[in-house]
Amino acid sequence: MKLRAIVAMAAALMVLAAGSAAFAQSDCKKLVPASPWGPNDQTGATNRITPAVTKAGAAEIQEGKVIALSYPLTDGVPLFGSRFTKTILTATSLAPGAAFGENNLTYMEDTWLSQSHVGTHLDGMGHIGRGDCYYNQIAMGKFINQNNMTKLGLEHLKPFATRGVVVDMVKVFQQAGKFKGNSACKKPCLEKGTVITAADIQAGLKMYNVTLREGDVIVIHTGWGDLFEQFPAQNAVYNSGEPGIGKDAAKWLASQKVVAVGSDQWAVEVIPGEDPKEAFVVHQMLLTDNGIHIIENVRTDLIAAEAAATGRATFFFTMTVPKGVGMTGNFVAPEAIR
Amino acid sequence: MRVKRPAPASSLRGRRRPHVWGLAAGLAALVVAAGLATATAERQYVIAFANLTEEPGVTVEGTGFTGREIRESFVLAARAYPVEMVFYDNQRADERAIQNADAAINRKVDLYIQYHQGAANAAIAEKLKAAGIRILAVNYPVPGAPLYTVDNLAAGRVAGQALAQFALRSWRGQATAAVVVGNLSATGDRVPERAQGVTETLAQRLPSVKVASLDTHGNPAQVAPLIGKFLAAHPSGKLLLAATDDATALAVKSAVEAGGRVHDAAIVSHGVDRSIHGGMNDRKEIDPPNRGSIVIGSVAFYLDRYGYDVLPLAMRMLRGEPLPARVTTRHVLVTAANVFLEYPPYDMN
Repeated sequence: MKLRAIVAMAAALMVLAAGSAAFAQSDCKKLVPASPWGPNDQTGATNRITPAVTKAGAAEIQEGKVIALSYPLTDGVPLFGSRFTKTILTATSLAPGAAFGENNLTYMEDTWLSQSHVGTHLDGMGHIGRGDCYYNQIAMGKFINQNNMTKLGLEHLKPFATRGVVVDMVKVFQQAGKFKGNSACKKPCLEKGTVITAADIQAGLKMYNVTLREGDVIVIHTGWGDLFEQFPAQNAVYNSGEPGIGKDAAKWLASQKVVAVGSDQWAVEVIPGEDPKEAFVVHQMLLTDNGIHIIENVRTDLIAAEAAATGRATFFFTMTVPKGVGMTGNFVAPEAIR
Repeated sequence: MRVKRPAPASSLRGRRRPHVWGLAAGLAALVVAAGLATATAERQYVIAFANLTEEPGVTVEGTGFTGREIRESFVLAARAYPVEMVFYDNQRADERAIQNADAAINRKVDLYIQYHQGAANAAIAEKLKAAGIRILAVNYPVPGAPLYTVDNLAAGRVAGQALAQFALRSWRGQATAAVVVGNLSATGDRVPERAQGVTETLAQRLPSVKVASLDTHGNPAQVAPLIGKFLAAHPSGKLLLAATDDATALAVKSAVEAGGRVHDAAIVSHGVDRSIHGGMNDRKEIDPPNRGSIVIGSVAFYLDRYGYDVLPLAMRMLRGEPLPARVTTRHVLVTAANVFLEYPPYDMN
């Protein structure tokens, strides 16, 4: 028994030592830029949502019209591999005689089983790193356990209440005469693999005479979300790739000091990527290097149509992110208020 | 595309009294140079790619890759360049290849990438040259054109090294036999060069090991009986198995499992097509969680990345830069340890 305990302890120490050695290999100061908000910053680009920014964003509310930017959260939406969602309704008190008290109270509640990065969701800064180095040069290996992260969790984010800007890439590509669609889309959508450049985004902004401001959330309409809407029929096509921003666009958006980039596909960035030997490099550029959040599976068709109908592409962007302590992301319900 | 910067105008620093005309001339030169640079940056090229074959399901070069995968790699790679791609299918036929070249001449393309195995290549070279169209050859030489090609011999050597290293590390001093399995009579696809690379390297690194050959003649159903006989002939000892393609490697693995010799075998393959590797969720043979597989790895041929390898060469030609007469694929061993570095998956987000 004693020998077993010694062996187990030695094994545990070896594992810990190996882990520490692996973590010690990365010098995060060389791999990831420092946050402009200081060495203790875990809030990232939402630091830019100041009272003045929120107030200026609220000026976009002119009609009181609310437009949803999220898809229904339900079983059957596109997911990869072993990811799943499962909802279970508890309704036992509806059974005869199971109601409570003389007032005959009944109740129901749900069990929602799911990974956090499903449906319309936010990528937190703990989602993506470069090796074990995450946003603000944090060597994340020291700050994870089997349940969550002890740094960079969603609880550190400031509320998203700012100006939103929609750019309609379908229109941009159509007007530039370079539109290539996918026949599985019922409405026009850019073909997967279409790289959206900084110039394309600038053309989309110019279309509505908008200049990005520090603290904006940019919402990119590619039309690819049409396949999401058709779930589950087109899930395989939806997941097979996507149009999206390339490195050039990500670099430019970071220079514009936006708070978040959302799009109507599952990774915001172009898939297949520009370099086949790189994986999700735009995620690293936005999240890891700049603390700029990514919002995936955003429903953009309604706000794009609204912009086309009114000639105005700006709105008040509001989104509640649950204070998920130590979480890397979560489903969200962004809304555009005009 | 990289654009050559114009030569900087000579510095005026150090001159005591710069002449006004000199300054004006310098500025004019700058304007002209900037204009030229802009014109160069905006130049849109038309590049034709005449593919070997795009027949659905037909694989090429003795690998599991199809012509369609090759064409798609050009579509994806072209996104980074100021080029319009025009695609042709040579259908493995000289007549069709000549028709395609004629069509490209009428289309006035800037450069023609020819992927064709046949006598027509010489005539096509003459036609294109007469039309002033530059040619880049893929896998099969075209007179006067630089060649981008697989290097089957080098790939075979990589596979041989992998098997030899495994044997020396894991089975030193134990009786070992080796075999090369695959479509060994496929001379058109130069599969014998692959086998030669394996055999030569094993002979060099493991001189005491006898290397046999099993020719499936391109029929994967032949793998099981051939391997079965080989296992019966070698009832004990360790076995090094080199498969010339991934489909064969998977069939060899099944045959070894059926023969109850998993603990005696190590397999290395060639190709790294989608039958042997996948994404996060595919659970294919070469996969990070499957490091214990007897399939040690496969030597990459990257036919699905030809566009990324060939288009930069084409752009260099269009810019007037010299190219080596022969550029070869960088064949590396892809294992469970590096498969996601070589082929990053995207099915996890």
